[in-house]
Amino acid sequence: MVDLKNMTIKNAHKGLRDKLFSASELTESIFEVAANSESVLHAHLLLMHEEAVQGAKETDQRISKDNMLGALDGIPISIKDNMNLKGHGTTCSSKILSNYISPYDATVVKRLRESGTIFVGKTNLDEFAMGSSTENSAYGPTRNPWNPDCVPGGSSGGSAAVVSVGSALGSLGSDTGGSIRQPASFCGVVGFKPTYGTVSRFGLIAFASSLDQIGPFTKTAEDAKIIYEAISGHDSKDATSLKLKAKSLPEDSSAKVGIVKELMGEGISDDVKSEVERIIKILEMEGHQVSEVSLPMTKMAISIYYLIAPAECSANLARFDGVRFGLRREGGNSYEMSEKTRAVGFGDEVKRRILLGTYALSAGYYDAYYGQALKARNQVVNEFREVFSSVDYLISPTTPSTAFKFGEKTSNPLEMYMSDSCTIPANLAGLPAISIPTGINNDGMPYSIQIMSPELTDSSLLNFSSYIEKLVDFQHAPMKWKKEP
Amino acid sequence: MKLIPTIGMETHVELKTKSKMFCSCKVEETEKPNTNLCPTCLGLPGALPIPNKKAIEMITLLGVSLDCEITENGMFHRKNYFYPDLPKNYQISQFDYPIGLNGVLQIVSDNEICDIEVERVHMEEDTGKSIHVGGGRIDTAESTLLDFNRSGIPLVEIVTKPVISSSKHAVAYIEELRQLVIDIGISHGKLELGNLRFDANISVAHRDENELGVKVEIKNMNSLRSLERAIEYEIDRQTSLLEKNKKIIQETRHWDEKLQKTISMRTKEGSADYRYFSDPDIPNMNLSKEFIEEAVSNLPELPKDRRKRYLDLGLSLEESSHIVKSETWVRDLFEDVQVNVSNSRSAYLWTTGELLGQLRKLNLDEKPKHLIGENLAELICLVEEGKVSSSTAKEILGELIKSDLSPENYAKSNNLIQENDEDYINNLVSQIIKEHEKIVERIKLGEDKLVGFLIGEVMKESTASLNPGLVRELILKKTK
Repeated sequence: MVDLKNMTIKNAHKGLRDKLFSASELTESIFEVAANSESVLHAHLLLMHEEAVQGAKETDQRISKDNMLGALDGIPISIKDNMNLKGHGTTCSSKILSNYISPYDATVVKRLRESGTIFVGKTNLDEFAMGSSTENSAYGPTRNPWNPDCVPGGSSGGSAAVVSVGSALGSLGSDTGGSIRQPASFCGVVGFKPTYGTVSRFGLIAFASSLDQIGPFTKTAEDAKIIYEAISGHDSKDATSLKLKAKSLPEDSSAKVGIVKELMGEGISDDVKSEVERIIKILEMEGHQVSEVSLPMTKMAISIYYLIAPAECSANLARFDGVRFGLRREGGNSYEMSEKTRAVGFGDEVKRRILLGTYALSAGYYDAYYGQALKARNQVVNEFREVFSSVDYLISPTTPSTAFKFGEKTSNPLEMYMSDSCTIPANLAGLPAISIPTGINNDGMPYSIQIMSPELTDSSLLNFSSYIEKLVDFQHAPMKWKKEP
Repeated sequence: MKLIPTIGMETHVELKTKSKMFCSCKVEETEKPNTNLCPTCLGLPGALPIPNKKAIEMITLLGVSLDCEITENGMFHRKNYFYPDLPKNYQISQFDYPIGLNGVLQIVSDNEICDIEVERVHMEEDTGKSIHVGGGRIDTAESTLLDFNRSGIPLVEIVTKPVISSSKHAVAYIEELRQLVIDIGISHGKLELGNLRFDANISVAHRDENELGVKVEIKNMNSLRSLERAIEYEIDRQTSLLEKNKKIIQETRHWDEKLQKTISMRTKEGSADYRYFSDPDIPNMNLSKEFIEEAVSNLPELPKDRRKRYLDLGLSLEESSHIVKSETWVRDLFEDVQVNVSNSRSAYLWTTGELLGQLRKLNLDEKPKHLIGENLAELICLVEEGKVSSSTAKEILGELIKSDLSPENYAKSNNLIQENDEDYINNLVSQIIKEHEKIVERIKLGEDKLVGFLIGEVMKESTASLNPGLVRELILKKTK
C-alpha cells in the first residue's frame, strides 16, 4: 500500500514517474481510505472502483512505455455530483435526478479524462449546490473529517472531505457563493475558485449561471494549479468561456497586500480575526506592504447574491419537470404531473430559492429587486477594480467562523447564508479567490484565510498562495480514519 | 357612430439555417420524430446554448430590409413559462434589446401601395411539437406525444404596430413578408410547413375614439384564407357585441377551421408573467457597424424595389405585384424575356398568362429546362413585329414547350411568317371586294361582322400568311 500521509498530486506524480509505486497500487490505497472512511463521512455518493482499476492499469501501461500523459496521469480525483460524467448518474444530491444517467461528459471531466486522471467517484453536496453544510443533500449529510460532529461546509462538502481524509488526491467542486472555499476552509484543504469564464461550465448542472465556477480542492496550492491548468482554457461549448490572456502579479515579498476592512469587523468571530492578523504579521515581517482597504459594497453582497442567484436558479431548475428525464410522479395531466414531481423531487432549500427567485423576477417586483441587484452588482465590480489599482492581493477570512455543528444553523436560513459573507463578493465580481488552511483552533478545527486577486491573475494567485503556504507551514492532519477490524 | 377595426400582426418566421439556433443539430424536414437532438436542444442538465452566427446575420438582413434601427447591443433574455414541449421551460428570446426596432413594410392591397409600420424584429428559438392524443388540448388529451426536432430552430418574430385596418391588408402584409424572407434568402417561407406562422391582435373601437378597443388575440390560423376569415369573423363578433353595448373581454381565441369561428381559449386569471431576464449563459452581442454594413452589402433586390422597377417598365401595379409574388422561375423567366423585348407588358402577358396557361393544361408545375427567356422573347418579337399572328404564336409556343427550337426558324420553315406587304394585300383586297359586291353593300349598311367573312376570303386567296390586323384595316378602308 502506498503511504498517503501528506501525499500531494505532485508527490504522487513523482512516485509514479520514478516507479516508486504503480498507479494500480495508488488507486487501491485511495479506495482503502474510502472504504475506511465512507461509512462515517459519507463524502462520496458514488465510488467507481472498477473503472478506476481499469484506468490505473492503462496509466501503468503508459508508465512502462515511458509515455506518461502528464502530471495528472494516474492521479485519483473525485468529481462533485453536479458535473456530468458520461454513463453515470448525476444526482445533484436531489431526489429529482435520482435515476438520471448523464449521456455526455462535462468539459472539465473530458479534459481530466484526456490527461489520464483516475476518477474515484462522485461527491456529496447540498442539493443543487444550494447550502453551506451539505445538510441539504437528499442522500444524507457529509461529516467533517476533523470532527464528525461538525459539518464539512458546503455546498461542495463531499469534495472537501475526500481531499481532507485522503480518499482522493484532488477533487472538483463548484463555487457560486463560496461553495468551494467555505468547505475547503472547514476541512483544512485548499479550495480555489478561478476567474469566471476561465473554466468551462459545459456539463455543470447550473445553479446560478452568472456566478457558478468550477475549481479544484487539493492539499496544496501547487496541486490546485496542476488541476486548474488541466481544466481551464476556452471551450467553444460555453459562450461565457473567455478567450482573454492571463495577467500576472508579483508573487513574492514585493506583492502589495490589502486587508478588507469590512470583512474583519462585525459578524466575524474573534478567533478567526486573530488568525488572519497572525498571517498578516508574518507577511509584514517578510517585508510586504500591507494596507487596510475598504469595499463598502461587500456589506450588501449577501443581499445582492440572494436576489441574483435565486432568480437565475428559478429558471435553471425549471427543466426538472418529469417530462424528459429524472423523477416522475404521475398526475391527471402534464401540469399536475410536473407539479407533483417537483413537490416530491425538490428539497426545502431548493424550493425556497425557486420561490424567492420567481418572486424577484415577477412583474412589478423586477425593478425593485432583481433590477436593483444587478445595479448593485456592477458597483461591487467597480469597487474591486478601484481597490486593485493600489494593491495586488486582498486577504480576508474565508468564513466568519470555523466549522459549525450539525443542526446549528438549519433552523435559521439567514444565519446559514451569513456563512458565505466573505466569499460571495468574489463571485459577484467574477474574481479568482482561494482559501488556504493556516492553523487549527483549540478544538482542533482548521483555520484558513481567503486571498482574492484581479480577474485573470489566477496563476499568480496560485503561486502567491504557495509562497504563503511555505511561510505558514500548515502541517496538521484530520483524525485517522480506519475501520475497526 | 361607425366602428372601425385595428389589427396588429405577430409573425414567426423559421430561418433556413443549416443548424439550430443554439446547438449544431441539423435543421431539416423529417418525418422521423426526435432524430435531430442533442443535450442543448433537449434541455438536458448542464447543457449550454451557443448562438448561431448565421441566424444573427439573417435576422440583421431582415431588420435592414424592413428599414429597422439595428441595435448595437443585442441581448438574449429568458422567457419563462412551463409547457412540456419547451424543454428548458424557458424560451431563449429577446426582450428590451431586440435586433430591430421601428421598421416599415410596404404592401399592396386593393391596388394601392401602403406602409405597415413594424414595431420590432427579434430572435428566438422554436419549441418542440406536441401531438395531443385523444383530442383537444394538453389538459384534456389522453396523452401527449412530444417531438423535439423543431426545438431550437431559429425563429424570427416580427411584430407590427396596431396599424392594419382590414383582413385584406393583413393578408397582403403576410404575402409581402413571405416574399421578402424568401427573396432575401432567410426562409423557405412555406406556410404549409409552418415556416411562417402568424397570430392577429384585433380590436374594434368607435371612429372618434382616440384609444384602441379591447385587444383580442387570435391564434391557430394556418393559411391566408383562414387568416382572412378569422379576422372578418372576429371583427363582426366584436362589432355586434359593441353594438349591443356589451363588453369585450381581453383574451386569446382560437380559430376553429371546422366551425369557421373563433373560440375562447380557457384564460387564466391575469395576464401571463414571463419574468423576462437577461440570459446569463449568453454574453451580449455586439453588432458592429461593419457587421451591419456587410449584411447590407449582401442584400438582394427587395420586393418593393422590384415592384418599383416593374412599374417603371410600364406594368400596372397589379401586374407588378403579380410578378413580384410569382414563383422564382416565373420571375427569372420574365426578367430574361423582358430585357429582350421592347414591350414589357407583352413579356408579362406571355410569361404569366399564355405560357403558364399552356403548362397548366399539360399538368406541368414548371417550364421545361430547354425553354429559355431568349426563345420566348424571340417569339414575342415575331408577334410584335407582325410577322406571326398571335394565334400562330400560341401554336409555336406549344412546340417550344415540347422541344428546343428557335421560334423564328420554326415559323419560317413551316411557312408561318405573315406577309406584310401592303401593295400585295391591297391587290388581294380589291379583288375580293369586287367578287363580293353585295356583301360590301351590307357592310356599308352596318353589318360589321361580315368584315370577318371578307378577311377569311382574302386569307384563302393568299399564298402566304397574312397579318390579319393589316387585312382588316385595309378592308375597312375600302368598304367604309
